[in-house]
Amino acid sequence: MRRSTPYLFLLPYVAIFATFTLVPAVYGIWISLHDWDYLLPGKPFVGLANYAALFDSASPVFDFFWQSMEATGIFTVASVPLLIVAPMGVALLLNRAFPGRTLFRAVYFAPYVLGVAVIGLLWRFLLDPNLGMVNSLLGTDIPWTTGLPWAWISLVGVTVWWTLGFNAVIYLAGLQDIPRDLYDAARVDGAGRWAEFRHVTIPGLRPVLTFVVINTILASANMFGQSYLITQGAPGVETRTAIMYIADEGLRSYRMGSAAAMSYFLTLGLLLVSVIVFRLFREKDK
Amino acid sequence: MTDNLTRRGLLGLGVGAGGAVLLGACGDDGPNPVVNGGGGDAQPAATSYSGPNVALTFWNGFTGGDGPVMKSLVEKFNAANPNIKVTMNVYEWADYYQKVPAAVSTGNGPDLGIMHVEQVATNAARGVVLPLDDVAASLQLKEEDFSPPVWRAGVYNSKRYAIPLDVHPQGMFYNKKVLQAAGLDPEKPPTTGDEYLAALDALKAKGIQGHWASPFPFTGVHQFESLTWQFGGQLFDDAASKPMFAEDAGVKALTWLVDLVKKGYSPKNVAQDADAIALQNGKAAFNWNGIWNINTLNGVKGLEWGVSALPQIGTQKAAWAGSHNFVQFKQKANDPNKLTAGKVFINFISQQSLEWAKGGQVPARKEVRESAEFKGLKEQSAIGTQIDDLHFPPSVPGIADAMATMDVAVNEAILLRKEPAKALADAAAKAGQILEQNKKKYG
Amino acid sequence: MSPRPTSPPPPLTGMKANLKGIAWYTVLIGISVVFVAPLVWMLLTSLKTTSEATAIPPAWLPAEPTTRAYQTLFAGGSQTPVLRWFLNSMVAATGQAIVVLVVASMAAYPLARMKFRGKNVIFGLIVGTLFVPGFVMLIPNFLMVDRLGWLDSVWALIIPGAASAFGVFFLRQFFSALPRELEEAALIEGANAWQIFTKVILPLSKPGLATLTVIAFLTNWNDFIWPVYVLFSPEKLTLPPGLATLQGAYTTDYPVIMAGAALASIPVLILFVVCQRYIIEGVSRSGLKG
Repeated sequence: MRRSTPYLFLLPYVAIFATFTLVPAVYGIWISLHDWDYLLPGKPFVGLANYAALFDSASPVFDFFWQSMEATGIFTVASVPLLIVAPMGVALLLNRAFPGRTLFRAVYFAPYVLGVAVIGLLWRFLLDPNLGMVNSLLGTDIPWTTGLPWAWISLVGVTVWWTLGFNAVIYLAGLQDIPRDLYDAARVDGAGRWAEFRHVTIPGLRPVLTFVVINTILASANMFGQSYLITQGAPGVETRTAIMYIADEGLRSYRMGSAAAMSYFLTLGLLLVSVIVFRLFREKDK
Repeated sequence: MTDNLTRRGLLGLGVGAGGAVLLGACGDDGPNPVVNGGGGDAQPAATSYSGPNVALTFWNGFTGGDGPVMKSLVEKFNAANPNIKVTMNVYEWADYYQKVPAAVSTGNGPDLGIMHVEQVATNAARGVVLPLDDVAASLQLKEEDFSPPVWRAGVYNSKRYAIPLDVHPQGMFYNKKVLQAAGLDPEKPPTTGDEYLAALDALKAKGIQGHWASPFPFTGVHQFESLTWQFGGQLFDDAASKPMFAEDAGVKALTWLVDLVKKGYSPKNVAQDADAIALQNGKAAFNWNGIWNINTLNGVKGLEWGVSALPQIGTQKAAWAGSHNFVQFKQKANDPNKLTAGKVFINFISQQSLEWAKGGQVPARKEVRESAEFKGLKEQSAIGTQIDDLHFPPSVPGIADAMATMDVAVNEAILLRKEPAKALADAAAKAGQILEQNKKKYG
Repeated sequence: MSPRPTSPPPPLTGMKANLKGIAWYTVLIGISVVFVAPLVWMLLTSLKTTSEATAIPPAWLPAEPTTRAYQTLFAGGSQTPVLRWFLNSMVAATGQAIVVLVVASMAAYPLARMKFRGKNVIFGLIVGTLFVPGFVMLIPNFLMVDRLGWLDSVWALIIPGAASAFGVFFLRQFFSALPRELEEAALIEGANAWQIFTKVILPLSKPGLATLTVIAFLTNWNDFIWPVYVLFSPEKLTLPPGLATLQGAYTTDYPVIMAGAALASIPVLILFVVCQRYIIEGVSRSGLKG
């Protein structure tokens, strides 16, 4: 293998990546050090003030920012386990030959092809506390979109409904990659269903699992469309997530510097969580 | 109708709640690098154009019933001015307010556009729009031709950036069949607080929750604003340097709305749009909503409805309103022909504002509003009777960001999570900080 | 390890299996109802009159089915060219999926299978950006696209999104899980890196590639912030901002909004049904070929 080979393979991607991700990301750090509005000629350098404000309880952003971080935390903790386990169950259900398999797979994946704008509107209407189909079916008057903990239950439920098919497809692809003979060997050894699952399926899914876990954490931590559309952050700002607040700050109030600082703070937190996840999976490898 | 949608487009956008309508105004002496248009001492702009052929782009957010009306006005203009060709592009309002500054910053902006009154100052401060004093001069427009607050809101740093096209106030929509069912006269909707509560009591006796109190900006926060003004209060002080919505009038206003829920005149947990829908399907009798609702209700088959001025609940008459305004955008290259042609266009459409009113608006120009023809538009003119009592979102530094805190307070109170006074006080503290911050930003 | 027969487990047989089979289908169908009901409701609502759509209590079936909503959409003239938006979305999403497949698979291969200087740094940088909320890059990217002269063109929809770290990360995981034996055998036969990549790695990775195609396609298909910034001409809009315009125009006219949503999603659903064999079952074929 020539020394240049790996670099040549990387070249096309890296060119696009550098232009549209790396440079903008670094530029974002630069922005976070300024009081930055892209249309104003004056963009005063403020050093780390945008970051310091996040820890200063007297700053205008402090309460709202931590409130939104808490909302993101609640949503992530509530949704990630469900989004990891439920799709695996569905993938296992579907990973066999039976008539109608194609249809069922399509059915479970179907909501995912709808954009968040569509599912948000659809569910806001279905979950309306006074007019909605859900309360009408259940014969209840639960404040699905305006009360707690109901709003969280709605947001997590809708997200599971919406994205379950995505993780399930990844699991299915991973399951099909597990060599058949490993199962045969396990069966010869007299392993039961559970032992088979633990010792063949889970290890076989590990690369895919790392991916699913991290990707799901990232997706949940970046959630805002559902909140924005279904609850609009209500009640109060209880379900306003970090990204929703950051977008407010950056794109509505034009305080891009402050918004960038919040983004990078969130990035740091997510990196930390992901390192922990990686570690956990690597240790299992040993 | 289109305005109602701003908030939804935001979802489309992924930008924060509240939407364009609440997007910010800004200050009096911020940086304003671009003055290519007609500035303060400008000579009157031309009312006709005889130069070489030019093509102009005109962007706006008229996605609803008003879109085709504006389009036909544009076609009329093109026919009358063969050397100017105006092309109109329509976007969702919230998308529009995201798109335009970005486009202008790269020199890809349109020549002409429409902006809500509370957007003008922000966009002037950010160098997106150009001064239009010369247009005002050539149209010989003066404050007394318009509703004074709208006219004044178009000025930033003592230059005019906007020419008002219309105003869209809040009115009281009512379902006639529902009123009849409760033994009320469908042709005589309540006009005072006592009458209103009496009507709600009569409805309640028939098991109807007459006024669904929405905790969201559309329509709850606008109702709160109308009521605050009715109780003699203000949202902010005149310089918009400190919030006043948590003072006595604001607390009275919000308490009145919260009591609708507590006393069972409104269901709890009213979701977005549920109040408007409840009126349409006969679950509610009243809905205080924007004038755009006329178009919506006209489209509902079999609905018998009417609209009037808001009842006077407080000590004086008052109602919330917004306004559409013409603006001209900054270009990379300064083409005097295009600028002139654009001004001719604004002039032309401004004079057609009666046509425009048929799309579901109240014309900004007084003479048109007082014409017999406008009075013939029953619904529009019913809402238009409030013209002297209208209040607009303040057009002063950093107001939109501060107003977002008010949305939170109204939401918390109407959802019965906080007492009105406490919710407003918390929000006002936050709003004060934000105003302070914005003062630094815009100078 | 020998080439792996990865066919799914054989169908159940016998009495016990019959009972199991019934339980099986019951569970499957039960879950399906939850998944499909809201979509069916969307379709049914698009066929209702406005007052029926908001009636209390809500009814499932339209008492007087009408295609008014669809007529409104298509009669809307230039204001809501839904089909045009659909085509634009198709072109952009397909284009981006292709670009992502090519560049991400090429980049993922050395990262998964080769040792070279700077590998960890490069991979670390790529993965690190996964964690940065995308909209920080919105304005910088917008300025970049302007400089390249791509504003208001399909390139702005295709290329910048292809920089996402997701594809590389995903495929690297997939490539890493492939058995080494085939690659080693090819090396002994004198194949070069490009041949191994195209003849061994890619065929073995069909399921992963198919999955990535769908993900890349849908990510682009559903993107609703970026197109608002980079597209100016209404006839170049994609579906998500287009649907926002629809909602702007029809506020509480749920039948029309639901009709727009249905028009937007049904073709993609059909596409998925047609392609899913390749997406999920491509695996067994690649196993046999390998």
